[in-house]
Amino acid sequence: MTLLNPLLHSYWYLFRGAGMTLLMAGASVVPATVLGLLLALVHVFGRGTARATLQVYLFIVRGIPLLVLLTFVYYLLPLTGIDLPPFWGVVVVMSLYYAAFMSEVFRAGIESLPQAQWDAARSLGMQRHLLMRIIILPQALRLAAPPFVSLCANLVKATSLVSIVGLWELTMASREVVERTLAPFQIFLGAAAIYFCICYAMALYGRYLERRSLVGH
Amino acid sequence: MPFDVNFIARLIPALLEGAVITVELAVLTFLICLVWGLLVALAQATRGPLRWIAGGYIQAMRTTPLLIQLYIIYFGFAMGGFPLSGFMSGLLALCIQNGAYVAEIYRGGLQSISQRQFEAGRALGMRRWTLYTTVIMPQVMARVIPPMTNQAISIIKDTSQVAAIAVMEMMKVAEVWVESSANTYDVFAGVAIIYLVLTSIAGLIGKAAEHRLAFAQ
Repeated sequence: MTLLNPLLHSYWYLFRGAGMTLLMAGASVVPATVLGLLLALVHVFGRGTARATLQVYLFIVRGIPLLVLLTFVYYLLPLTGIDLPPFWGVVVVMSLYYAAFMSEVFRAGIESLPQAQWDAARSLGMQRHLLMRIIILPQALRLAAPPFVSLCANLVKATSLVSIVGLWELTMASREVVERTLAPFQIFLGAAAIYFCICYAMALYGRYLERRSLVGH
Repeated sequence: MPFDVNFIARLIPALLEGAVITVELAVLTFLICLVWGLLVALAQATRGPLRWIAGGYIQAMRTTPLLIQLYIIYFGFAMGGFPLSGFMSGLLALCIQNGAYVAEIYRGGLQSISQRQFEAGRALGMRRWTLYTTVIMPQVMARVIPPMTNQAISIIKDTSQVAAIAVMEMMKVAEVWVESSANTYDVFAGVAIIYLVLTSIAGLIGKAAEHRLAFAQ
């Protein structure tokens, strides 16, 4: 038990860090989802400039590491004179970054529906927004639910990066504890176990959604 | 002062030196993962304890952040009496994390092969080795190229996290330059462009491979 002592003395501190991780992930997931859905609609319906802009955006986000963008904002924000607390700076970057991946998930969901659904709805005289609202989106969102959940788990993992730019969350908390206790193995394994619990719960929920979406078809 | 020509002339060689380490890490990780991921995927296709071990490994990797794994390997192993260099720790962490994702890609590929092909092979009296090497795997390889390309791009982006354990790859070089010169714009623009070039090259190689192996579809 002596081996686990550092962990037993500091687990409450790690849990508080995990709370911060969840808060950060939750605050990023909501705008990322909304923006991702909008971008997916731009991809499906957009023409010309809108679509080209979207392609550039996707190219940039998919080609540059999140860490580079986070660090950039960390150094840049004070220079621009925008008075944004670091927490919200991180949330903005994470939302913009994950919106790109969300849009791919939603687009795949929309595009995997058979063309006949569109044709049938149009031949019934439905306007575009009615068609989207009651025919396409309910089915597409159901199809997109499992990859969406695994993307959310990915986002939770990615919040660990903000510790590098100096924000306090689970990874930062565990680094602080390691500096005090000099027990990196136990503490980081403990942090890994907390991440596991959060993400595994999400994975199970994703699997449940997957089974439900299969039943619906 | 952004866009200072003299500064950029000194900056570019330094960043490229870091980019060499980034590329080394990414290429080694990708090649090792191609083999390691296949072994894990095949282990998962067996019956018995190996299947559970492989499944547990994949789940554990997919639910814990790379950064925490880096810390466990770099600081934890040193504490336990197996000090590894930063580069080796980074390589090991990148491989065990991405190996799980690569294994999932192979699993998807294997599952997409119709069960009848296995039955047909057996009916022709093929040994398992012959069946896999001549019939199953060529098709799997052709099918996994698009997701493998995405994974390669994701590996290139992941290497930036190795900066957290002071490996002088591109991201760490950038941080050092930002801190010594305070010329944030130039340094990060340079880093972002180099990452975009590297990920685009990976994407193009993937497209070419897809084209070459189209016959196996």
